[in-house]
Amino acid sequence: MTRVFASFLMGLLLLGAVTTGGVAQAQNGPLRIEITEGVIEPLPFAVPDFVAETPGSNQISKDISRVIAEDLSGTGLFREIPAQAHISTITNFASPVQFADWKAINAQALITGGVSVSGNQLEVKFRVWDVFAGQELGNGLRFKGTTDGWRRMAHKVADAVYSRITGEGGYFDSRVVFVSETGPKNDRKKRLGIMDYDGANLQYLTDSSAIVLAPRFSPTGKEVLYTSYETGFPQVYLMDVASVRRRVMSDEVGTMSFAPRFSPDGKSVVMSVTEGGNTDLYRMDVASGQRTRLTNGPAIETAPSFSPDGTRIVFESDRSGSQQLYVMAASGGEATRISSGQGRYGTPVWSPRGDLIAFTKQNKGRFHIGVMRTDGSEERLLTASFLDEGPTWAPNGRVIMFTRETRGADGVSALYSVDVSGRNLKRVRMNGGGSDPSWSPLQ
Amino acid sequence: MHIGHYISGAAHAGLIGWVLVGDVFRADPPPLEVTDVAVISTEEFAALQRAQQAPVTETEVAVPVIPEAEVETPEVATPEDAPVDVPTPEAAAAAEPDTTPDLSDIAAPEPRDVTDDAPVLITPEVDTAAVVPERAPRPVVRPAPRVAPEPVAQPEPDTTIADEVQEATRPDARGEAAEKPKEETAPEAASTEIATEPKAEPEEKAASAAPSRSVRPRARPVARPDPAPAREAAVAAALKEASDQQAPAARPPGGPPLTRGEKDGLRVAVQNCWVVDVGSRAADVTVTVGFSLDKSGKVQGDIRMIGASGGDEAAATTAFQAARRAVLRCQKSGYDLPIEKYDNWRDVEITFNPENMRRK
Repeated sequence: MTRVFASFLMGLLLLGAVTTGGVAQAQNGPLRIEITEGVIEPLPFAVPDFVAETPGSNQISKDISRVIAEDLSGTGLFREIPAQAHISTITNFASPVQFADWKAINAQALITGGVSVSGNQLEVKFRVWDVFAGQELGNGLRFKGTTDGWRRMAHKVADAVYSRITGEGGYFDSRVVFVSETGPKNDRKKRLGIMDYDGANLQYLTDSSAIVLAPRFSPTGKEVLYTSYETGFPQVYLMDVASVRRRVMSDEVGTMSFAPRFSPDGKSVVMSVTEGGNTDLYRMDVASGQRTRLTNGPAIETAPSFSPDGTRIVFESDRSGSQQLYVMAASGGEATRISSGQGRYGTPVWSPRGDLIAFTKQNKGRFHIGVMRTDGSEERLLTASFLDEGPTWAPNGRVIMFTRETRGADGVSALYSVDVSGRNLKRVRMNGGGSDPSWSPLQ
Repeated sequence: MHIGHYISGAAHAGLIGWVLVGDVFRADPPPLEVTDVAVISTEEFAALQRAQQAPVTETEVAVPVIPEAEVETPEVATPEDAPVDVPTPEAAAAAEPDTTPDLSDIAAPEPRDVTDDAPVLITPEVDTAAVVPERAPRPVVRPAPRVAPEPVAQPEPDTTIADEVQEATRPDARGEAAEKPKEETAPEAASTEIATEPKAEPEEKAASAAPSRSVRPRARPVARPDPAPAREAAVAAALKEASDQQAPAARPPGGPPLTRGEKDGLRVAVQNCWVVDVGSRAADVTVTVGFSLDKSGKVQGDIRMIGASGGDEAAATTAFQAARRAVLRCQKSGYDLPIEKYDNWRDVEITFNPENMRRK
């Protein structure tokens, strides 16, 4: 009896082994497979010099092509195939593209364009090609402007190319306002500077007679909020970038205001106000100056930042004993703590996409720039150094710029950027040092 | 005796279970906690302390009297921020879409000259099945009648296939004539009765002779480029069709299925070219694409998006473009797949799922 049972059991086991061993089954319909692993590498592209369509446009067409290539390569998502490797040349914007020549050098995207100059008027047109599919991505576009603005035109072309390949908005035609820092650490001159996102066209908005802090762009990019100590204590000012005119935002006696930031509609400003030794968050109407208290407690609450839809605010507070991140409704009220890891969290900034919050984290003597979901989950640290702080988002929510300060008495502050995936960490090209960057919207 | 066996068996089973479930042989060492230690100078420590101090400390220092805040604009070299006139994008003047290459001087080959006299050869006698043993290995169950024993309802999507069958079974030169009978006969025999009768008959025949499943028209010899064996190929195809008719559902279409290794070969080949931008919204999208391969393993025709999930339309489009590039870029001279199983990989659907990549 036992033997019979054992044989039966053995039979079952064998049957199971055979059936799970992958006996081929008849296939119906198409062959179906799933791919879950790919490669992470920059996409090779080619930008042959844009065709100079008028006699005087040779140099400017080369310059424009170079800026486009640098914009794209600078993202870390693309890799330019140098001109020396090109098999084909583009001599006519309207000529058919020889896809085989570009396939042969593994160019996956090709950007062709033409430039014409008439007086001080500049016209740039371009097309983007998916080489392996043998078809154009989107339609050709043409920009018109003045020759002075050739860099902006190049940035605009690069934005359009980026958008067509990635499906997301670009960030090249944008500016950064920051605190420019020059001189040794113990006698450092600070003033507001503004520049293109890539460090070009640097200009200064203030002199170095007073300490300035934390400049922040308005949603239109035409105004800047910042904190200045020129009266001896911190006050928030609003400056029109074009005219450099400004006005004080909060001038109540006995108060200090700092860490301002615009609401997404630009109609109000949220900031910290210290009154009677207590720091709370206030919302101020830009037009009327009327102030509404958002938090009320003995803790220090500061660094507020709106969600892109304007309904919520993330801020830092030490109400739990250490500095942590909290989210509350834009009208104030109960706040929910979202940071839960070790260390201290500060300077939260809501991503323009709305899906992530960037922050500064200090843990075990190191500073990090990190991101987390808006509910505090999926925290990822993107950088680590002696001192990293003050993140700001690119207008497309893809790149974060921040301040990195080096160690020691002669340490310097500089601006760095990193992709939200943690790749492509690099220093922003600029003269001198800088801190507290704020990225403008796309112009 | 039996009881002893049972007790022994139960004890052994318990022991084995304990070993398996209880992680007895787990070799994980106890976790070590590593702490970063940095030696810093007093200046750095002071700097750290300064950085940690919130501005509160200063609030208690003084309640300053606000000097009538006459805000003067600093004598800074006021940079005229004269933004260049914003270039207004406008659609490019319909730059001529690339002029398609002039094909006029390429002599177009006479399209259908090759179209086979093949049917001429095909007089599928009873023993034709024996010529293609690999296509119909099993004994023919039913003798497929050439003429339907009884009228069949109007054929629906299989009409074209039925036409083929009809050509293949006709020993006379109808293969050539089959495409032209209307042109030649219709004008003369204008009467409806005469015209419909000859038409109705072959349709019935065809319907009755048609297989119950699609036999994939593309397998016919039309696609064969080499002229020399065209005739033999046509014969083979016709014989195949004949055998298909005789044993329509007797075997899976296209021979043995692909092995796991063969599928993996294709998967690995494509994934090596699938570039994932993990920081983009497209990395949230799982996209499925479909395409056809020719016998050399190269993509034939367009790659189409069959479905996408996890993102908006723009993200799905970007994910599709990346998938398409992967398939096209890595095909090189054709994916390496067994030719004898062509029917099983002629049509391919690949799902690109970036979920694992997002964690990298």
